[in-house]
Amino acid sequence: MAISDRRVILVTGVGDYWGARIAARLAADPDTLVIGLDDVAPLEEIENLDFIQADIQNPLLPELLSSEGVDIVCHLKFVESSDCSEANFNLNVSGAMKVLGACADAGVRKVVLRSSTAVYGAHAGNSAFIAEETPLRGSSKYGYTRDLVELEAFCNGFAVQFPEISLTILRFANIVGLTATSPMTRFLKHKPPRILLGFDPMMQIIHEDDVVEALVHAAQNDVRGVFNIAAEYAMPLSRILRLARRFPVHIFHPVAYKGFNLLRGSRFGPAEFAPIEWDYLRYPWVADLRLMVEDLGFSPLYRAEETLREFAADGQYNMEKDGDERIAYEEGRLRDILEIRRRARERADQ
Amino acid sequence: MSDEEKIVRCEALTKAASRCKNKAEPGSVTCWVHRSSAVKLGAQRPSVERFAEQNLSDRELRERLMAELDDLIIRVQGISPEYSPPPFSPEKMVDLLDEQGEDGDSSFRLALLKRLRGSINEDILDIETWKGAWYMVNYTIEYQGDIVKRRLKGDYETDAWGLDWEFIEAVRPFLDFMYKVYWRVETTGIEHISDYERALLVGNHSGQLPWDGAMLMTALLNEHPAQRLVRNLYSKWLPTLPFMSSILVKMGQALDSVENGVRLLEQEELVGVFPEGYNGVGKLFRNRYKLARFGRDGFVKMALNAQAPIIPVSIVGAEETYITLGKSSTLARLTGFPYFPISLRFPWLGLLGVVPLPTKWYIDIGQPIPMDDYGSDAAVNPALLSQLTDKVRNVIQEMVNNRLEQRRAIFF
Repeated sequence: MAISDRRVILVTGVGDYWGARIAARLAADPDTLVIGLDDVAPLEEIENLDFIQADIQNPLLPELLSSEGVDIVCHLKFVESSDCSEANFNLNVSGAMKVLGACADAGVRKVVLRSSTAVYGAHAGNSAFIAEETPLRGSSKYGYTRDLVELEAFCNGFAVQFPEISLTILRFANIVGLTATSPMTRFLKHKPPRILLGFDPMMQIIHEDDVVEALVHAAQNDVRGVFNIAAEYAMPLSRILRLARRFPVHIFHPVAYKGFNLLRGSRFGPAEFAPIEWDYLRYPWVADLRLMVEDLGFSPLYRAEETLREFAADGQYNMEKDGDERIAYEEGRLRDILEIRRRARERADQ
Repeated sequence: MSDEEKIVRCEALTKAASRCKNKAEPGSVTCWVHRSSAVKLGAQRPSVERFAEQNLSDRELRERLMAELDDLIIRVQGISPEYSPPPFSPEKMVDLLDEQGEDGDSSFRLALLKRLRGSINEDILDIETWKGAWYMVNYTIEYQGDIVKRRLKGDYETDAWGLDWEFIEAVRPFLDFMYKVYWRVETTGIEHISDYERALLVGNHSGQLPWDGAMLMTALLNEHPAQRLVRNLYSKWLPTLPFMSSILVKMGQALDSVENGVRLLEQEELVGVFPEGYNGVGKLFRNRYKLARFGRDGFVKMALNAQAPIIPVSIVGAEETYITLGKSSTLARLTGFPYFPISLRFPWLGLLGVVPLPTKWYIDIGQPIPMDDYGSDAAVNPALLSQLTDKVRNVIQEMVNNRLEQRRAIFF
């Protein structure tokens, strides 16, 4: 196929985990030319990736997009931090706004963004299954939720103003996986994880591989709009912890909130002590997945239990080597793996 | 209503070897939790019709029992392929059944015993039947015993709303005590609730704490032949308390919103609402049994959107569990409660004041009020909504008044 016939996809944030993975996955397709954009090069060499070293806030971005004939932009440059810093806001929100503006100028066909179901906020009055149209009431205490809420508000207006651009936003539930870093993995890796006494909300998770698949699916298919993405069916937080073989410590909630306020700005600040904000461990924030299945046509490969059991393999504690428990666990793991492989084969056949 | 609309239950067994109570997915024999067993179940299920209490010859009875036992064993092997029971002998079997007689809740065990008894005849005692029964009984015992270990491993299932049947079974003894012994609840009108279809139960609210919701749920679980679970809708304030929200969610209750109500109804669940809300629950003693204002018509919207009949329920006896003389708004603001009741015993006696009085309760379930003939735009017609709200309120008030006339004493 001639070079000019190939689809051109620009992926920002290739120096970070998600950008690198999506770029690698997209670059494997011979019909696609993938251009990676970031101010640092990816840690590992990605085959067939055309890397351009530049900051997304560079004013020449529209020129880059039009001269390279970019069709699709996957904007994945996002700094996920609990701190509410100006620098992060500028990069995450203003940077994204500049990228979107550049796409509008250069006539890019489609833009894909990664967001989170945390934007709905965790409130006592939340519906049991939050639909995509629900007004966003994400908290503004942590940087990553605040930035995403701002960004989504902007995108709302942007989509109305530029209807010819296919804007797709995927809101992911808590991401869990062996290599990815997310608030949930940081939370689960604590020894021990800290939760609130007496609260056990329903939560959803999604496997890191499914995140990559979903973003690639969104980039390659003709869809637009906002979609919640999670592994089907929420489960209580206590079950999540037990499947991941973590035994949490319970903190009485007034103490937790007060203590958190006191620790802010100290060495044991929010990122260390509570990677997931207390409210999100207290009230449910389960997203409705109907649109994901019906409109986006995406179905995660990993079930929630399998994701957590795989993650449990990471923590070598809580199980003695060669004990009965360990053997039963290994058996369960292999059963999971075989089940997942069978499912993947079935899907490939379809 | 018609047979085609009957709900199909999941065919799989839970880890505790009792029948899974979830609904089957459309086009499948299993629910979403046991989806992976669907293939095995579909392929290996022998074509045996459900055992019916008919006049069958002993031989036919025995064959049917055998086929059913084989069926169950195949499914159990599907769940736990590594399980094998201890060696069998008829004496051990009798001992085991004797031991386990009063214990546990496994409905399977009871059913098995009944059928074994029905099929035992002098010379029909077949060693294979006994072996099959031995396998099943041992399995149930072992996995019931293991329940704590299983739950610690996360090896249990909840539905998408958070309902946990094992939790309900654990809390059941307490609820049954309150239902049978403490409040001696008498329920009438259970026949108005169908076995499988959606319905919105609307009740009068009283008694400061939502005990009436709990008792309504226990009434249905105990008295209804299909053991239907009422999914009550609770107010926004309750989840802010520790433990309350997780207990409520595990018992299958959901937050009070029209969306949630409609969604539950569309899944053919029984939804229970108490539209009086805080006004009802915080009623002063002198206003007892006078229904307060019925919310904002949310429940009628739910019923109309989901085309579910409204079944009025009157609960008499809850009003006198706490004798509230007044309310303090200052204390309410201080503590964060939606309202702060001052009664004869609370807050003076502290926690002792929270124990309700053992009055006698009567739950009367009325005739369903159908919602199908109001047209498609009924849910946005405010006049119709308030008209229906008033109608339901009057029906319930009448039921309450009738019962009060019949009632002779408060505590007996």
